[in-house]
Amino acid sequence: MTWSAAVFWLSGAMALGGAALAVGLKSIFHNILGFALALVGVAGLFLTLGSDFLAAVLILVYVGALAIAMVYAVMLSYPLDTQPQPRRAAKVLGAAALSLLAAVALFVIVLGADFASSYGLIDPETSARWVGRRLLGDYVLAFELISVLLVVAMIGAVMVARKARMAKAPPTPTPRMIG
Amino acid sequence: MTGPTLAALLTQFAPLAACAVVLLGLRARPRAAAAVAITGMAVSFAAAAGLVASVAVPDRPLLAQTVFLPVDAAHALSFGVLLDPLSTVMALVVATVTLAVMIYSTGYMRDDPGYARYYGFLSLFGWAMQGLVLSANLLQTLVFWELVGLASFLLIGFWFERPAPAAAARKAFLMTRVGDVGFLLGVLLLIRALGLATIPDLVAAAAPGGSLSPRLVTVTAALLLMGVIGKSAQGPLFTWLPDAMEGPTPVSALLHSATMVAAGVYLVARLHPFFLAAPAVMHGLLYLALATMLATATMAMVASDIKRVLAYSTISQLGYMLMALAAGSTAAGFFHLTTHAGFKALLFLSAGIFIHHAHTNEMRDINARDPLAQRAGVIGLVAGSAALAGIVPFSGYFSKEAILGALGTAAAPWVVALAYLGAGLTAYYAFRMVFLTLAQARGHADAGAHADGDASGHGGAPGARAMHGTVLVLAALTLVLGYLGPWLEARLAPGEAAHGPFTVGLGPAAALTLVAGGVALAWYEFGRQGAARVGFVERVPALARFFGDNWYLDRLYRATVIRWATALSRAAHWNDEKVVNGATDGLASGTVGGGRLLALIQNGYVQAYLAVVVTLIAVLAAVLDRLGLVR
Amino acid sequence: MMPLSAYLTVSVALFCIGLYGLVQRRSLIAMLIALELMLAAASLNVVALTTLASGAQGTLLLAPVGIGNRSSVGQVVALILIGVAAAEAAIALSLFVAIQRYASTINVEDLSELKG
Repeated sequence: MTWSAAVFWLSGAMALGGAALAVGLKSIFHNILGFALALVGVAGLFLTLGSDFLAAVLILVYVGALAIAMVYAVMLSYPLDTQPQPRRAAKVLGAAALSLLAAVALFVIVLGADFASSYGLIDPETSARWVGRRLLGDYVLAFELISVLLVVAMIGAVMVARKARMAKAPPTPTPRMIG
Repeated sequence: MTGPTLAALLTQFAPLAACAVVLLGLRARPRAAAAVAITGMAVSFAAAAGLVASVAVPDRPLLAQTVFLPVDAAHALSFGVLLDPLSTVMALVVATVTLAVMIYSTGYMRDDPGYARYYGFLSLFGWAMQGLVLSANLLQTLVFWELVGLASFLLIGFWFERPAPAAAARKAFLMTRVGDVGFLLGVLLLIRALGLATIPDLVAAAAPGGSLSPRLVTVTAALLLMGVIGKSAQGPLFTWLPDAMEGPTPVSALLHSATMVAAGVYLVARLHPFFLAAPAVMHGLLYLALATMLATATMAMVASDIKRVLAYSTISQLGYMLMALAAGSTAAGFFHLTTHAGFKALLFLSAGIFIHHAHTNEMRDINARDPLAQRAGVIGLVAGSAALAGIVPFSGYFSKEAILGALGTAAAPWVVALAYLGAGLTAYYAFRMVFLTLAQARGHADAGAHADGDASGHGGAPGARAMHGTVLVLAALTLVLGYLGPWLEARLAPGEAAHGPFTVGLGPAAALTLVAGGVALAWYEFGRQGAARVGFVERVPALARFFGDNWYLDRLYRATVIRWATALSRAAHWNDEKVVNGATDGLASGTVGGGRLLALIQNGYVQAYLAVVVTLIAVLAAVLDRLGLVR
Repeated sequence: MMPLSAYLTVSVALFCIGLYGLVQRRSLIAMLIALELMLAAASLNVVALTTLASGAQGTLLLAPVGIGNRSSVGQVVALILIGVAAAEAAIALSLFVAIQRYASTINVEDLSELKG
């Protein structure tokens, strides 16, 4: 087994295993940890595809920022003091069936497709430099848009989560004639 | 437009104009309504007289027709007038009787709250009947035929607040409708074969060399005859006419004796050559009319209501007219129609005088209220009965002789014998009526001297002049009309051999003997002092019941036709309620239920929505992929 | 180097696990985790495809891809996806906080007022 194959298998196991933990375990913190594990696995997969920059960004953003933000949100809103309700079997089975159906459908399409695959060759131009050039070159519009999106998201998040204190402020006094 | 055409249009449309004015504008002004109606009818009368003078007297037939609705290249609906001695004389008869009835009604219907409506309907009838008489093609005739039926319905049920007149009107309408189905089918068959031909063309096409096959002529003649049977109350469809006496007496005089019921006879006379081209049908008509004539004569012999006697008598006399026509003589049948119009209207109007005075139709009750004081009524009743019985020199004698003569030459001997028997029966029941009404009953001989309190008022009673005057004029007519016969015969049937009243022979003598016998029997049973006032038929209760109840025909209808029709209509109602309504309601509630069912999907759970979406997309994607569309 | 189908299999499996979690978990935050997994699977998919199957001629996102020019336009796409995921998760989390304040629950089965 070559190194890249081993890395692939390990990363794949981590991705799928972490995902299983993320959706299967009862405690929300365990779910977040599983989520982080899954994303590390996905990052590993990106590595095997030669996208090192992307792998790094993934870990930084998803694990470093997103998972932590989720922990914050859990602290602020999760009913941690109450016992979690038991899962209903019907819902579990239904969700599993649905997931299986989607899997089957997707597999049918994907595995029946005829990709002109050329596996084996990795383009040397997969580095961060290359990605940067593309981002500020051909795809600068997407780059700008995503920045705008991020700004909007930031402001929006702040606004939405604020306590609605302004509604209780006293009304501005009506101007009165002097004299 | 020529003079006669204009006169013909005036004859029809003057009453229509009067009807429109009265019904639309003058409902609140009864006297003005009567004046307008009478004026309209007077105009019609004058125009009809002019027509007789210009068309019938010089025997100059005329047909004028105009297209008013083209249907396609070959067909069009047209309206026209056919003027010949038959139609013009009939128009004059109709106009005369209608006018007389209208004038009479100013007295009879004086205090009725529906006075204006009454005159409106009378004018409607006048228009419809004149239109029927003068129409130029069969479709036009059909239209006016139905309109006359409508007028009859409206007038029989004039006092619609009471249940009996309303029921009688419905019965009349429905029964004549049954006949009219056949009539309509016949007309449609003829239109299919000939297009919208005028009556003369139709008659020509039915002749042996014409374009209609003999079988078609026979079939259509039979169908048209169904309408005649319904309208003229013959055969199985006669029971509506005795019930139609629920209407006001002038209406009975006009519609149900003189004119409307005679429309059937008129139709046969109008299309006489057509009918003669179907001899089998004419044979059937002869026997049917004979049977009807005798049966209704028996019914008249036991009736106690004066109007019912006259109703049965009308049916019986219509039977005579149809027998004459079936035997082949246009002139005899039509002549009797004319004289019958005169004396039957006279009889009804005279009866009306008694009814108006005594407020009852029962002859024995009228008799108790000093009838002899109503002198005009007495004169009218006696003159009319004499004409009905066929006593020289009243008009009825001449026309009946013409009929018997025609039968004698063309029909089998047993038919002729029965016809003579009918004449005797007619005389019997006519004078039974006279004596029951007028002759002083046992024990009442002195009562007449102590007249009731209101006996003094008749001569000067308001409206009495109109009633009495009309009756006297009509009575005078019955003396004169008889001499019309030869003239009519010359105009209507130039080829027929002259027979009838003025040839002294066995026929008239036999008839007069039978008539005298009938009168004598009636006098013996009812008229003389101390008579038992019970007829020989009435002494047999079972027979009296049988004759008195329309020979149980109504019972038969109730047990069969009406029961089946009611069952059918109940089934149809059930179908309407359960199936049709049920289907639409079911559709509605199904839609609502389906909606409610579907609303269960909209349960507010995002995950459920998600499940549905993903399922559908997955299935759709897989299917499209398999179909090769996802490439 | 593994074949393309391996990567696609992983990505589909990850996607479906995320779908299971999205439909089955009651807490909004758990649903969000599952949703992020699905997004990650999608980015993996794009990158794998463009890296390993760009032998065909054609254009992808307005840039010509083909032999010699195949590579990781998919990386740019994945990058954008990651940005979108981050933005969306940020807003979602602050929404959950607000919902908790408003309805005292973040159990998605209790938040079902929009129904027919």
